[in-house]
Amino acid sequence: MSQQFKMIFSLVITSLTSITAQAQLISIQSEHLLPKDAVTVFSINNISLLQKISMDDLVNYEFMSEVHQELFDGSTSGKTLKDAGLDFNQRLNLFYGKTNTHELTGFTFGISDKKALFEVFDDFQVLESSIPGLEIYGTFFNQLLIKENEALLIRIEPTMEHIDAVTDSIWYARGNEMPFDFFEESPQEEQVLNEETYEDNPNSNLFPEATENPAVKNYYELRDSVQVILQQAELDRILDEIFVKGSNLYNFDPRFAAQLSHNAEGVFYLDNARNLDKSQGLWYFQTVLPSLYKDLQELYAGNVILGDLFLRENQVDFEVEAQYGPALGSIYAQMNDARFDQNVLAYIPATSPAYFTYNINLEQAYEQAYKVLLPLLSDEKNAQIAMNVLTLELLNEFINKDALFDTYKGSMFGTFNGIKKVKIKKIEYKYDENFVYEEFETETEADMPIFTMGFSTARADIPELVLKHMARLSSRIQHFDNYWRIDNAILDAAPLFILNTGKLLIFTNDEDLARLHPNGYGKLALSKKQCKIAKKSGFMYGSVDIPQTLDRFPTEVLTPRNAEIVSSLKGKSGQLELTSSDTDTKHTTFKLSYSFSGSESTGKHLLDLVNSLYLIYTLNP
Amino acid sequence: MKYFLLLFTFALLSACIEISDDLTLNNDGSGTLRYKINLSASKVKVNSILALDSLDGKPVPSKAQISAKINEFVRILDAQVGISNVLVEENYTDYIFKFSCDFSSVRNLQDGIKLSIAQISNDKYTSPAEQFWLSWDGNTLVRSIPAYITQQIKNYKLEDQEQLKTGIYTSIARFERPVASFENKLGSLSKNQLAVMVRTNTFDLKENQHLLDNTIVLTPR
Repeated sequence: MSQQFKMIFSLVITSLTSITAQAQLISIQSEHLLPKDAVTVFSINNISLLQKISMDDLVNYEFMSEVHQELFDGSTSGKTLKDAGLDFNQRLNLFYGKTNTHELTGFTFGISDKKALFEVFDDFQVLESSIPGLEIYGTFFNQLLIKENEALLIRIEPTMEHIDAVTDSIWYARGNEMPFDFFEESPQEEQVLNEETYEDNPNSNLFPEATENPAVKNYYELRDSVQVILQQAELDRILDEIFVKGSNLYNFDPRFAAQLSHNAEGVFYLDNARNLDKSQGLWYFQTVLPSLYKDLQELYAGNVILGDLFLRENQVDFEVEAQYGPALGSIYAQMNDARFDQNVLAYIPATSPAYFTYNINLEQAYEQAYKVLLPLLSDEKNAQIAMNVLTLELLNEFINKDALFDTYKGSMFGTFNGIKKVKIKKIEYKYDENFVYEEFETETEADMPIFTMGFSTARADIPELVLKHMARLSSRIQHFDNYWRIDNAILDAAPLFILNTGKLLIFTNDEDLARLHPNGYGKLALSKKQCKIAKKSGFMYGSVDIPQTLDRFPTEVLTPRNAEIVSSLKGKSGQLELTSSDTDTKHTTFKLSYSFSGSESTGKHLLDLVNSLYLIYTLNP
Repeated sequence: MKYFLLLFTFALLSACIEISDDLTLNNDGSGTLRYKINLSASKVKVNSILALDSLDGKPVPSKAQISAKINEFVRILDAQVGISNVLVEENYTDYIFKFSCDFSSVRNLQDGIKLSIAQISNDKYTSPAEQFWLSWDGNTLVRSIPAYITQQIKNYKLEDQEQLKTGIYTSIARFERPVASFENKLGSLSKNQLAVMVRTNTFDLKENQHLLDNTIVLTPR
């Protein structure tokens, strides 16, 4: 996968870096080569991007090194990226798709200069084509299909499950025995098989040995052959679909075609319904509970996410619309039919680098989900599901749902208030004149990220009841005038404070909030303007000050991949803001805005984000 | 050994560490080694690291796994020739780890530790160097900080070196008869003249891994 994404990013950047294109109407030719099995597509309107993105800084990005490695392969030194021969009057469409047996990735694009293109794609060999007018080129991993001035670069990988299933079938049909010795003693501890270990065990029976007869394949040789054949068969099927039958995603899904008509710099398409259909994780439902799986499919029918990327003055906007079918939509609509709880705004300080508000009506969502989902489950003739349905129905009858959902209504807020020094106890040693030491306890300060999380409640008496009884059981829980304190609750070192205001139940490790601001921050809280924006945003709102939040993040506690991503965003000026619309039974819209100040261009910031995405998709964990 | 060294990694990531070695040497060459790692000032960070699945891409063991590995080391060391009374105190509230053992000669001590580390570790990187860090001829003790400790400090990230300055390494040598002289200028002599202590911060030790090396000459018997 990482190689594919490298290739994809290479092409994206190639398209971004050509300055020869003239502003013209976008043709949609290259869209006609998208396989209809593509479930995720990111389509780039080349011209719009080229008008706004400065290219001088490109060479400093991580993805640039890959561009040179992948496309130019060292064979075209001295050439520039704009020599790639792409038609910048056409869109560039990156896609990913998955069927039950194969994964496919690639991109489609237009060609203006085929000779120049093959100076870049210099590893591709001409292959025989049985389809009139279609040229086929291939490398070990990828196929490049060219018809007139449009091209499809595709990689097809059969899934391992499919390869294994076909290989096993042939292997056993030929009368072979099990290819692996599962009953050999295997290493108990997790360990790396290094060279020495391998050499120490030359007779290790972990892998099938080569057969004496070179004409007879061992298991792995057979599996490799199966993989190649499956790959070729799937490629033939897709080529027939696109180039003979003329069937592609553009004419298969009108929602995608409509999205492409938007005047945006980039377009995003994700068909969640088909994603669910092809999800390997649902194999249990597919095989054991087929009728329930069919119901799930119907529930997810029409579930698609469509997005537009706009580059604006000092701002990058990503506008996303989540569409869904009536059944799922009815649950979402009920869930998001919640009034904004204004009480939370008083507990978000204006200086908070990152915060979110989330408003849902859990009781309505529960009732609607019960109404929609229970009949599906009740129809299933499966003992375990029948017991679960019975349990659910009994709980529904016996539990005081009003008390439950008044205690936890579903709406919440959270803030990150930066890093503060907190006092902790430490042990020190004092040496006397003969260097005999004595231990004593003293106080020191440690850096602690300060988080606050609060939940709306209409039954403050219930958490109070719980805390009161918990305090009788443990001396670590103490009640003060306006708050509860649980000692050493955070990382065994710092206290957790609980404020029960009557309308909000707030958990925080910020002693200042508990002691000095139990009724909210007052004038120090969010400004009226900020409050208005948060209130106006549908069911959720989020704001992140990038330099204040990410620059303080300790990357050493992350995996290398995540650390690289965070590091790539560090040092940026800017604010991320997530807003949402009200939800109805058909859709919800979200808008993620990345605004920034300073002299850097919008395109530069976009490339920063592209670079982060590149790191997400290509770095190994 | 990697679990022991993980303690150092925790310590170095969490900045404020106090390490001390305390060697008591009898006239006949036998003695006691006490080793102590104090992370109590960094317990917030240590706890936050232990809450993670991995750190810098490597899995972070649980407290139970660390404890099991420490106890395995103790068991192996206790079986080595010339080593006895191996004890470990593990305090996972304040993150203080104390280790002590008796030895019949400094050679037995060094061999015993080296063999024990080799037995519990497959990692060449953390294997102890061949060099000896103690020598005793009956009158003179020549000592340094073991390479497997200084190597960990040396590997500390450049950008976090400021944090190293808050760490302390203390090295004490105790004897049955008075000290006549010692070479290390950072050293100080106890009032009863039976012990020498050298201390430095972990940053300086990273810069000069021989900073605490010392040659101590005792008065004749």
